[in-house]
Parts: sequence; structure tokens; C-alpha cells
Amino acid sequence: MNDTGRVSAGWWLLILPAFLLLVAFYIAPILQVLAISFTDPEPGLGNYERIFTSGSVQRVIMTTLRICLITTALSLLLGYAIAYAITLASPRAKGWWLLAVLVPLWISVLVRAFAWVTLLRRQGLVNNSLMGAGVISEPLPLVWNEFGIIVGMVHYMVPFAVLPMLSSMREIDPRLLAAARGLGASRWEVFRSVFLPLSKPGILAAAVLVFIFSLGFYITPAILGGGKTLMVAEWISLQILDLIRWGLGTMMATMLVVAILVTLAVFSRIVDLRRIFGSGG
Amino acid sequence: MQSFQQDCVELALRKFRRGEVDRRTLLAGLAALGVGSFASDEAAAQAARKLVMVNWGGLANQGFGNFYGAPFAAANPGWTVEQDSTGPSAGRIRSMVESGRVTWDLCDSSASSSFLLGRQNLLEKINYDIVKKEDTLPVGFALEYGAAPYSFSSVLCYDSAKFPNGGPTGWKDFWDLQKFPGTRLLRRDATAMLDAAQMALGKDPKNLYPLDIRATVRKVADIRRNAVFWSSGSESEQFLRTGEAVMGIIWHTRATVLHGETNGRIKFIWPQALLQAGIMVIPKGNPGGEGAQRLLASMLHNPEPQVGLLTLLGNGPTNPRAAALVPQDLRWKNPTDPENAREQVVMDGEWWGANYQRANADYVDAITG
Repeated sequence: MNDTGRVSAGWWLLILPAFLLLVAFYIAPILQVLAISFTDPEPGLGNYERIFTSGSVQRVIMTTLRICLITTALSLLLGYAIAYAITLASPRAKGWWLLAVLVPLWISVLVRAFAWVTLLRRQGLVNNSLMGAGVISEPLPLVWNEFGIIVGMVHYMVPFAVLPMLSSMREIDPRLLAAARGLGASRWEVFRSVFLPLSKPGILAAAVLVFIFSLGFYITPAILGGGKTLMVAEWISLQILDLIRWGLGTMMATMLVVAILVTLAVFSRIVDLRRIFGSGG
Repeated sequence: MQSFQQDCVELALRKFRRGEVDRRTLLAGLAALGVGSFASDEAAAQAARKLVMVNWGGLANQGFGNFYGAPFAAANPGWTVEQDSTGPSAGRIRSMVESGRVTWDLCDSSASSSFLLGRQNLLEKINYDIVKKEDTLPVGFALEYGAAPYSFSSVLCYDSAKFPNGGPTGWKDFWDLQKFPGTRLLRRDATAMLDAAQMALGKDPKNLYPLDIRATVRKVADIRRNAVFWSSGSESEQFLRTGEAVMGIIWHTRATVLHGETNGRIKFIWPQALLQAGIMVIPKGNPGGEGAQRLLASMLHNPEPQVGLLTLLGNGPTNPRAAALVPQDLRWKNPTDPENAREQVVMDGEWWGANYQRANADYVDAITG
């Protein structure tokens, strides 16, 4: 073995404890979950068959997908506008903008959900102001439904949409925009045919991040949904803790992991994930 | 989903913080859940035996440790009872028993879970040579796989200011959106909800079981657009307090709090309320063996601590001798007071144990549809 070989073997040894820890406490339990999904209550594919035969399983999946897609679309739209504004802002303003994006990230998801309840409920700030101003005569149903859930989730997700888009927009050479203007393009044309295509990797990365994150949402739908909307994460907890139908619960958990891996695989064909999530850049 | 027990501890802590009860009462009441000295003859023979009781609240550790540990150790030399407040959900009991390393002796559970787990051979049967059936209520409180040292009830609670011409008198009125308009509040769990729906469908409360799952679930689905659903006791209280709902099915402990807080504007009624057993279960292969049965027996046998629990948390006593010991001014909120018990319907834990999985899955499906 030459010198460099020995050095790299040393580095691998350093990683070994972390690797063993991961295998013992992360991968092994996941394999166990996978095993239970095939063996409880009886061995076979019975639990997975439910995806095709059980209306309630299908509905939970559809509800989750619908809410996640809407959340992702809205977060991207809002996030893109913010990232665009930050990119074009002066360096001083940039700092403040970033702070404004990051501060909500540090507030607990629970606190934020309750804050939305306070704002959106029947006698909440929004309804009271609208009624006081004479715009509406009856309180609007702003919470305890999917609308409330999506408001809460988008609010949580916007920073996660902004950050990857911002990093990709920063890489766009401003001289290209100036050149396009110099060649006679209007502002809109510059945006549409130069800036937008160049920022596309960021949009895709943000979409993957937000979508995958949304799939596992638990607290926000539980608090803002008024008990009438059930997403996958809460459904799994219901099966495992209360109904002790572990086979079904672990089946759905496995499906969730598979959905995330598939999403990642699909997007990794389109964009270079390693670059987007920070390594090798 | 928050359980009743979890909610009680939360409620007690709040009362304590507001100064509504003193520390002594708090500790006494918490300890009442597990207090009682049991015969020490055999205990003394086996040196240093330990029992682990599992409850739902973080308070129990400090409460039980101070108040309960010392006197118990004195009464039963060689025995100690530890409190574990990590929450014995059915799923956690299953995973503990199946892993083969059981560390729990007595768990605060429910009638339906006792049947569900018992059927899967995950619980010890209650030994009724040790636990005395006559120490608790006759129907539904002493089961094959669990017995109840306390009771609670799901009552109809409403904001009387919203109904100046007289409030609802039963579940029929609860479902009558024409006569009593406004948002309804139900628990996001089928137990007690389908029972109420069955009464609203006109079935005789004396002959309520078996419930018609399809019809009752459909009955709930009828009002779901005008309803919100609670998962934790504090949530149920908040929905009614803030006027998000005008009428709800909530635990009597929360209803009495609202009643007191609003000087009776928010009322609740005992007629047709669903009286339930606070069932304790013993995981299969528990380390303390028979000791757990005897701890349970003593909890059922001693009425005084049960009254202490009512004073603090509102849980009803189950010992037949306890009701008479309850101070006059507390009787209105004791679910097992003969006056109140007579008007309620005792939930059939056995029917629920056999049907909970299917009924609850259908129920959750219907309300989230």
C-alpha cells in the first residue's frame, strides 16, 4: 500500500464509528419496519394490497399528495419572488432580507401553527377586522379545513424554497442580463429568456426539498385541520399507537420512504443533486 | 391522540399553577391514582421488590416520588412503587411485550385497549381472587384483562348563551342543526361518539349495544361539515371557550372547568352521558408478577384516595363506598355519584374491545372524507 492509500484508509477508520452508529440505530430499525410491513398480521403482501383495494388508504395518499403539491407550488411562487428580490437588492438590504427569511425558520412549528389559529379562527384577527370593516357579515371559514393547513404549511416552507433558489440565482452572471438589455430585449424578455432558464436548477432543487419535507408533515395539519384532514404521518401514528395495526402503519411508512427515494431519483436525473445540496460545489 | 389520563394530569398542573389547589392536595390527588398499602406478609418475605406504574403525565414522577414512595415503603417493607410517566399507549405496550423485556407492571389504559391487547395475548389476566370485584362498579369496570380504580364520562357540553330558549337535553338535540344551529365539537376517536350517535338515532339507551357501526358513522358524517374534532382535552376546552363550537361531546373534567370559569354560562348535562371505566392493565410477563395484581387490588379497595383524586382531577371514584365520602359541594361533578350515574349510560367496554379497530377506522375515514 502506498502512502496515499494508507492515509485514505485512516480516514475511513475515522468514519467507521459514525457508520456503525447509523447502521445500528437507523438502518436496522428501518429494515425492521420493512419486515413488519410484510409479516403483520400475517406474512404476505396483504398490507400492500390495501393500496389498491382500500378506499381509505387511497384517500389518505391522495389528500397528502394534493396538499403537498399545492403547498410546493405556492411556496415556489412566493419563494421565487423573494429570492429574485434578494438577488437584485443592494448588499446592505440583502442582509436584512436574509434575516427576515431565516427568522421564521428558528420559530417552533408548534408556535407558528397556534399563531395561525389565533389569526384565522372565527373570532380571530382576520375575521374580526374584516367584519369590523364591513367587508363580510359572517366569519369566513379560514381554519379547521385544508385552506388553513395550506396556509400554515406554505408559511413553514417558504424559507426552504427561498434558500436553494437564492443560491442558484447568485451564480447567474449579472453581465448576461446587461448584455441582453444591450441587445434590445425588454425587461420581461430578459427575465423570461435569460434569468428564468438560468435559475431553473434552483427551482427544481427547491421543489424537491419542499415536496419531500411536506410529505411528512404532522403537527401543522393536526392543529390547523380541525381533525377533518388526515395526512400520511398522522395516519401512521394512528395505526401504530392507537389501533395497533402495525402492518398497515409500517406499510405506509415504507411507502413514504419509497416516495421520497423515487422523488430524489427522478430529480437526480434532471439536475445534479450533489451540487444543489452543497457538496462538490 | 391524547388519552383521558394524560389530560387529567395536565389539568391538575394548571389548577396548581393558578393556585386553585395547594401542593399537598396536588400530590395527594396524584398519588391517589396508585395509593394504597397492600398486605405485607408475602411482601416482607420477598426482599426488595419493585413495581413500576405507568401513567401519562410528567407530573406523576415528582408527585408520586415525594408523597407515595415514603409511606408505601413504610407500610410494605421491602416493596417500592416507581412511577413512569412515558405514556403506556397500546402500541408501546405491544412493542415492550414483544421485545421480551417488560419493565412495566401496571399501566393506565382503557377498556377497548385491554380487550385489543388481551386478545393478542399481550396482557396478564386480572386475578379476581386478589382483586375484589365488589370493590368496583358491577358492569364494565372489572374486565378480564383490566380493572378500573376511577371513572370518567363523555358529556354533552354547550354554551347556554347561544340558546336563550333552552338548551339541548340529549343527543337527538345535539344532532338537530335546525333547532340548535352552530358548530359541533366531537372527539376524533369513535368511542363515545358512535354511542351518542346511536342514541340520536333513537335507540333505547338501556339497550344500546351492539351499536350499528354503519348507521352511526353515517350519522356522524351527516354533521361533519358543521363540526370540528378534538384530539386533546385542552383543545376541546379551547374550542368551546373561544366560541369556535357551540356544543360538544367532551370529558366531564373539562366540562366542569368550563362551567366554573364561565359561571355556568357553559353548561353540561349528565343525562345520556357515557360513563367509562379508567382501566388499568398488566403487561404480559410483568417483572413484579403478582405484586401488580395486589397493587391494583389496593387501588380499588381504598375509597379515600379515590375521593382525593376526584377533588384534584375530577376522576370519579369506583369503589361503591366512595360516593358517600364525597363532600356535598363536589357531588355535582362526580360521574359515579348515584344521582348522576343513574342518568348516564355505561359504555360497553367489551363491545368496544371487539369492534374498536374497525369502528374507529370507519369513523376516522368518515370525518376526514
